[in-house]
Amino acid sequence: MGAMEGLMQGIQVAFSWQGILFVLIGVVAGTLIGMMPGLGPISAIAIMIPITYGMDPSVALVMMAGVYYGAVFGGSTSSILLNAPGISGTVATSFDGYPMAQRGEAGKALAIAAISSFVGGTVSVVLLMLFAPALSAVAVSFGPPQYFALMFLGLTAIASLSDGSTIKALITATIGFMVATIGIDGQTGTSRFTFGNPNLLEGIDFLVIALGLFALAEICFLVKNRKDQSLQNQGDIGSLKLSKADFKEMRGPMSRQSFLGFILGVLPGAGATIASFIGYISEKKIAKNPKEFGKGSIKGLSAPETANNAATSGAFVPLLSLGIPGSGTTAVMLGAFLVLGIQPGPLLMADRPEVFWGIIASMYIGNIFLLILNLPLIPYIAKILKIARPMLISLVAIFSLIGVYAISFSTFDLYLLLIFGFVGYLMRLFSFPAAPFILAFILGGMMEQSLRQSLTAAGGDMIILISDPVSIGLYIVSILSFVVPIVRNRKNAQADQAEEESNAS
Amino acid sequence: MLKTLNQKVSIFLILFAAGYLYLSYNLKEYPYVPVDSDFVPKILGFLLIILAIFLFFDKSSETEEEKEKRQVPKKEMLVLLAVGGMIFLYIFLLEIIGFVLSSMLFIFACSWFLGYRKLVTTILVAVLFPLIMYLSFNYLLQIRLPQGLLPF
Repeated sequence: MGAMEGLMQGIQVAFSWQGILFVLIGVVAGTLIGMMPGLGPISAIAIMIPITYGMDPSVALVMMAGVYYGAVFGGSTSSILLNAPGISGTVATSFDGYPMAQRGEAGKALAIAAISSFVGGTVSVVLLMLFAPALSAVAVSFGPPQYFALMFLGLTAIASLSDGSTIKALITATIGFMVATIGIDGQTGTSRFTFGNPNLLEGIDFLVIALGLFALAEICFLVKNRKDQSLQNQGDIGSLKLSKADFKEMRGPMSRQSFLGFILGVLPGAGATIASFIGYISEKKIAKNPKEFGKGSIKGLSAPETANNAATSGAFVPLLSLGIPGSGTTAVMLGAFLVLGIQPGPLLMADRPEVFWGIIASMYIGNIFLLILNLPLIPYIAKILKIARPMLISLVAIFSLIGVYAISFSTFDLYLLLIFGFVGYLMRLFSFPAAPFILAFILGGMMEQSLRQSLTAAGGDMIILISDPVSIGLYIVSILSFVVPIVRNRKNAQADQAEEESNAS
Repeated sequence: MLKTLNQKVSIFLILFAAGYLYLSYNLKEYPYVPVDSDFVPKILGFLLIILAIFLFFDKSSETEEEKEKRQVPKKEMLVLLAVGGMIFLYIFLLEIIGFVLSSMLFIFACSWFLGYRKLVTTILVAVLFPLIMYLSFNYLLQIRLPQGLLPF
């Protein structure tokens, strides 16, 4: 089937009344959850998954995609209004968005963010439409060794790019992989690490991990900061109107960052956070008056907003066409696919064109909804930030518990959830990043399978893993993803030292 | 000897990996496959030990921000434990008295405990939220939440 025909089918899904309704529900829910302090796209998607049980998969996934980019947008609202980014992807937004809001131009800042997000989102959907099928076509020929190499790259990339210590990221990834080995081994039927507990035979459900490590762990921090009243006092947001000169300012960053953000989103491990920072930094470097940045510059706000939304759609390229998530968020998204019985990957476009193209087509509508919703309604939506913390904590806890219960109907999984909530809290206390954990957990089963399939096919010969150019190329990139940051850090450290010495002398 | 935090964490991880490896080496053998089920776990166990050793010798000290994040006053620790205990109790009661009643109790108790003092709002949310959730899960989504003591 041609791409055109598939696209038509997707448009049918996206423009059906259900499609439109659920995209709307998705972006609204995503925006609301993403706005909450601490709750980002991972929690938003994980909380929304139970609602999709029993729904038509294409409509359900259209909604989940809406939740994802809605949550990214929601995060920017709280960044601008309160200087409290809901997620790391919108930290850069607060650099210039918050100063603008303090000047009494919150409305203008929100409008700039909404329009930049819309442009970034829409441009990158067009790119997604062009790239995903092409990548699928290449990936159809991939066998287990190439897939293993690809997933290996995904894991090493997220470890080396995640903020904080690389060694800690690798450790959490390894432990995530270890947790994935719990349960019956698919190939030999041996039960591994179950301690004779029948509840563990099927392994631990990914929702337990996602909601535990993210939503519940975040609750712990909300409990600690529950007396924080900053969310309560939020003034008038002022006019939303933008002048022609403002648009002229935004044009440059929007056009550049749409593409840059998309590319960074496609790359494994990068994603919205890195895209927004690089967007901000690169615009600052080429700006005529970089001193404005950080004091409420329009360009400084528009750039990260465009980039993080563009990266969000970009992240769908590897997910849809390879079936391999490149980030924690898309890993949870993959979980949402699997819950509905859809296996994303190179065959998705041929087997389930209505899902593949439905998601892509719905992103156009979703982005328009975000724009419509956010421009006039944002003052009202922002009221949700006034929900008192203690109430918010109880409600998020119930949502997480019910989300897990609705998938397993066993209280055993709920106790596990509590345990992983505690683990997630400890990880945060000791600054171990949680995203590599969830990615490794979800990729773990697939990696083990492809590794053993490759080795079984070759009779146990390891050479099979590095016997073709695609795999070798992927391993080289994996290694580079480590070496480059290390070398760069060392150079930076030397530069710092040199500077200190010159200061001292 | 264990001066830095990294070293303490590292020792813990090494012990964890050793336990994991011990279990991996005791997995049942399956004679007819070239790659048995203990292959990947063994790699992971050794990998974790190697990484933990790297962590042990990692000299990068914590940033101020990280240190501050780790400082949790004892009182807060107790509050956290209490919330954890409430969640535990909630799970325990869930299948006995049902979703609606246990959620009502939990929302009310947890919000009150954490210092929310608007009685009317708390009661309204505690009553309406579980009811709406329950009805929409049971009738709209066809997911049966524990009914418990209630007749519907």
